Amino acid sequence: MASLVLSPAEQDFIIRGIEKGFRGDGRGNLDRREVTLRTGMISQASGSARCRIGNLGVGTDVLVGVKAEVNAWTPGEPEALGSVVCNVECSPSAAQEFEGRGAEEINVELTQLLDRVIGGGSQGADGLDLSALCIIPKQAYWVLHVDALVLDVRGSIADALVMAARAALLDTRLPRVVVETITDDSGATQAEFDVVDDAEDLVALQGVSGLPVAVTFNQVGKRYVVDASEQEEAVTQAKLTVAVSPALEICAIQKGGMFKGFQPSLLSEILQTAQRIAKEELTRFAALYEEAAKHKEQQSDGPSTGSTFLVAF
Amino acid sequence: MSRQELLSPEGLRVDGRRANELRRISCRASVLNSADGSAYYEQGNTKVLVAVYGPREPRNRSLTQHDQAAINVEFNVAPFSTSERRKRSKGDKRLLEISSFVKQTFEGAIQTAIYPRSQIDIYIHLLQHDGGTLEACINAATLALVDAGISMVDYVCACTAGFVDDTPVLDLNFVEESSIETPDLTVAILPRNGNIALLQMESKLHSSKLEDVMELAIEGCKHIHRKLDQAVLATANDLAEKLSH
Repeated sequence: MASLVLSPAEQDFIIRGIEKGFRGDGRGNLDRREVTLRTGMISQASGSARCRIGNLGVGTDVLVGVKAEVNAWTPGEPEALGSVVCNVECSPSAAQEFEGRGAEEINVELTQLLDRVIGGGSQGADGLDLSALCIIPKQAYWVLHVDALVLDVRGSIADALVMAARAALLDTRLPRVVVETITDDSGATQAEFDVVDDAEDLVALQGVSGLPVAVTFNQVGKRYVVDASEQEEAVTQAKLTVAVSPALEICAIQKGGMFKGFQPSLLSEILQTAQRIAKEELTRFAALYEEAAKHKEQQSDGPSTGSTFLVAF
Repeated sequence: MSRQELLSPEGLRVDGRRANELRRISCRASVLNSADGSAYYEQGNTKVLVAVYGPREPRNRSLTQHDQAAINVEFNVAPFSTSERRKRSKGDKRLLEISSFVKQTFEGAIQTAIYPRSQIDIYIHLLQHDGGTLEACINAATLALVDAGISMVDYVCACTAGFVDDTPVLDLNFVEESSIETPDLTVAILPRNGNIALLQMESKLHSSKLEDVMELAIEGCKHIHRKLDQAVLATANDLAEKLSH
């Protein structure tokens, strides 16, 4: 991640503070920062969302756009499923070392992480109804491209990515597809589809509310914290990202970074806490998304939908 | 691709504008909290976000110049920006060319001699593409540089213009730009003395028509200059209000 140089005294201060349950910005070990969420700012995309995690307007800032395309089926692919492809790009405005090719490694890491959580890796997505994305089995299906642009990194990048992707998918509206089956003279049936070209005739995605939320735990000293700031990440020994679905099932776990390992006895405690925190986060997310939808309504009178960038975010 | 009528007999274009009308412009400075300067610029459906950092220590010692600042521009096109999703690699020639144009344009406008041995970074993100990329990048970058407090000789305002059916048209959108018969001229000027900072044209245009098209584009630039000025004033007023409490 973006490198931050801390003096030994600062590192000691953070570690000892966390051991006593006090963090640099006054939070408790399990408290999360404020989240601001807005949707629908990219009118040309099927869905979009911007998420910022951080207090006082400064924090990890992620912009996600979802674009849907129709793909022709090729043998070897699942016969009646659509697919989700994720892509994360870190902008050099987040850190100077992301200039040019500097962000390649972290882009790949975050892309794989997002793919695992949202796209379900190679097993198919948890929550998202991929079979609803199929247009005609063995012929055509929708592929959703989830593209994330990371504008700023202040710790907890995985949580912000998953939250923004979730909101963007909730915001996504696909054009309606009309499928016709034609029987030709020999009795063979052929199916043809037609995408309705009406800007008002759109369908929402199915199953998005079943998508997981990600909670990242950082071990600092002997204790662990949730939603680490960049200073806390600089003294982290081990980092664990856990994705939990609304049904409180653990969807994905990833230990990140080149840090030291952590005690296995901590693992069960972390997983339990993850489920509890995820429940709170999901409730918070629902409230935030509703607020974002209200903002989108208010801004939709003008032709421009750049609302989060033209108004204070 | 069917040949659409770019200019109807009544004088209306595909999006309902007249030949000499600019698209709607909205812009705002100070949109990213962690950048030294930032701006968001919308011209019709083209949306650009620019972050400026600097003057700061150069990342590459080799780029340091002892008597002036080095300007570094990186242009990033979001995969969801075009109507068909397309991911461009970082080394894409078109992107590098636009970055290079922006860099050359601002090398003339920024007073680099005031910031020796430092680097000024301009990171441009294209969030939605609907024609006029280069002009939107330059206008947004000007606003972001002013927001960053970097000393400049003047604003740099850019505008595109073309020629359809014997009429010069102002501010081409994507449909008009991609039509093969329409020449596409981009002009950037420094409004106070009217000097041209950038001039680029694609496709053929008869030399007798060039002056008319250029004049129209320069008029467009002046209008954009007023818009940018308003945005800067709005930010300054906002800041003054916050400081007075």
